[in-house]
Amino acid sequence: MMMKIVPPLDLSVCIGKLELKNPVIAASGTFGYGQEFENFIDLSQLGAIIPKGISLKPMPGNPPPRIFETNGGILNSIGLQNPGFQAFINEKLPYFKKIKTNLIINFFGKTQKEYVELSRRLDDLPGVSGLEMNISCPNVKQGGIIFGSDPRMTHRLVSEVRRSIKRPLIVKLSPNVTDITVIARSAEEGGADAVSLVNTFRAIAINIHSKKPELGNIIGGLSGPAIKPIALRMVWEVFQAVKIPVIGMGGIMKAEDAIEFILAGASAIQIGTANLIHPGSAIDVIDGITQYLIKNKMSRIQKLIGLFKA
Amino acid sequence: MAIQTDGMVLKNRKIKSIYFLLEIDCPSIANETKPGQFVMLNTSDDHHPLLRRPFSIYKSYSILHPRRGKRGHFLILYKKVGKGTQKMSTFKEGQKVNLIGPLGNGFILPPLPSSTATILIGGGVGMASLSALGEVLGSGKLYVFIGGKTKDDILCEDDFPKGKVFIATEDGSRGKKGTVVDLFLLEIERFDRGLPHHVYICGPEGMVKSLSKVLKSKKWIVQVSLEARMGCGFGACWGCVVKTKNTEMVYQRVCKDGPVFPLSEIVWE
Repeated sequence: MMMKIVPPLDLSVCIGKLELKNPVIAASGTFGYGQEFENFIDLSQLGAIIPKGISLKPMPGNPPPRIFETNGGILNSIGLQNPGFQAFINEKLPYFKKIKTNLIINFFGKTQKEYVELSRRLDDLPGVSGLEMNISCPNVKQGGIIFGSDPRMTHRLVSEVRRSIKRPLIVKLSPNVTDITVIARSAEEGGADAVSLVNTFRAIAINIHSKKPELGNIIGGLSGPAIKPIALRMVWEVFQAVKIPVIGMGGIMKAEDAIEFILAGASAIQIGTANLIHPGSAIDVIDGITQYLIKNKMSRIQKLIGLFKA
Repeated sequence: MAIQTDGMVLKNRKIKSIYFLLEIDCPSIANETKPGQFVMLNTSDDHHPLLRRPFSIYKSYSILHPRRGKRGHFLILYKKVGKGTQKMSTFKEGQKVNLIGPLGNGFILPPLPSSTATILIGGGVGMASLSALGEVLGSGKLYVFIGGKTKDDILCEDDFPKGKVFIATEDGSRGKKGTVVDLFLLEIERFDRGLPHHVYICGPEGMVKSLSKVLKSKKWIVQVSLEARMGCGFGACWGCVVKTKNTEMVYQRVCKDGPVFPLSEIVWE
């Protein structure tokens, strides 16, 4: 009788020089500083972890209420609250030493100078695999959105930061632009190793009884399953517009969603909102992708990237 | 330590008007919980609603079953007000329900024995966590103030020793007419001014804010359990913050740094 040879499954993907053991990344802002999830999952199983974004100096964040649920989505205006670079390396970074996965640091600044300064300092840290530059937070003026909505400013900022660091640079894009492919190309021309998209969509909710906004900051960012089809379209468009790897995100709740993004061209995907509801979502997505490959008799996830037959 | 686990609905019944009592078999949470802690309950598997909902653990029971070993169940007191609690009200006996808990820091208990009074002030479903606290306090010098809009909003009064409970309703349908804060002010003279009494508060924001003014000048030890819209419940999203006097961090998380805070730490905006 013939033995059926089952090759080992290869879930690894490459984001430029950065190799991930699987394409599933915990998205910044939804995964705390990793430790919050240790009771629920084995963090080392993830492809990468991106802790909550940091700035050079501490930031208090926005006044509450900061979160409001809409149909199939969450509106948030956290406002990039973070303890700043120094406290981050003292209090948060040491935890990741024992976590056997890639640590990607999400960062942002008020000015180009600050972006460059912070990226340099982060680049020097041991145990950091790459940087994700946020030019897309919808909730604060200083969250980089100014840089992320103008192609020339994106280009200039990305090239400055690129020149200052050695590690892989991922640029996180905002969907709140007329044409996201234009910004993606600017990031690519500036020297980005990859782009990640999408950040949240600017949105509001009104309390009809008080006639006031549901969020303290009035405007927030919408995430969750409600935005998935739009995010997917943007990932697909960007995939066709650039040569660098695309990291897809936006409302991925389960493996099927993640596979859609990979088919649309994402080399890796990020899990955001789903982490808040099921802390084990990312692990479930890895398992689901594995099952999909087995079912489709595929041995390498890389072969799935961009297979969308449009 | 908080865990994610499935519990099983033992009972789910309306107690009055829009208030319900949900009893869940879940030893791993019931056996670990302290008064003032909460669970995040998934009300739906199809993302409608999307987020879990936070609920105080009302009563919890640990039982050593002769054959099944260590068992345990707990109760949630909830008010049917939105999509999530609407779904909960349809939970059937035997149904599985996914939980994360026990979460948050509970109340810090007063020292025992003590010559000071322990005063609980609450409204609506806020009484659930105060009742859990009352359970471990004993009946010594315990005084309980319960408020609500109408008699239907007066909850948990039978959980406390008779004669220790003061009730106020805004429409006067039960107890003293007025707010629970008004009632507390009428009785405040009975508490020796010189002593550092222990006060525990849980209820609507308006009530907590008024009490904050009333108690400001007193050197009492006041703890408040705050309610907030939560994203995750376990400290990851920073969605449920409250402004505090903490200089390092202006905004602290209700879920992880609380939900119990010293009242004097809170900055009301």
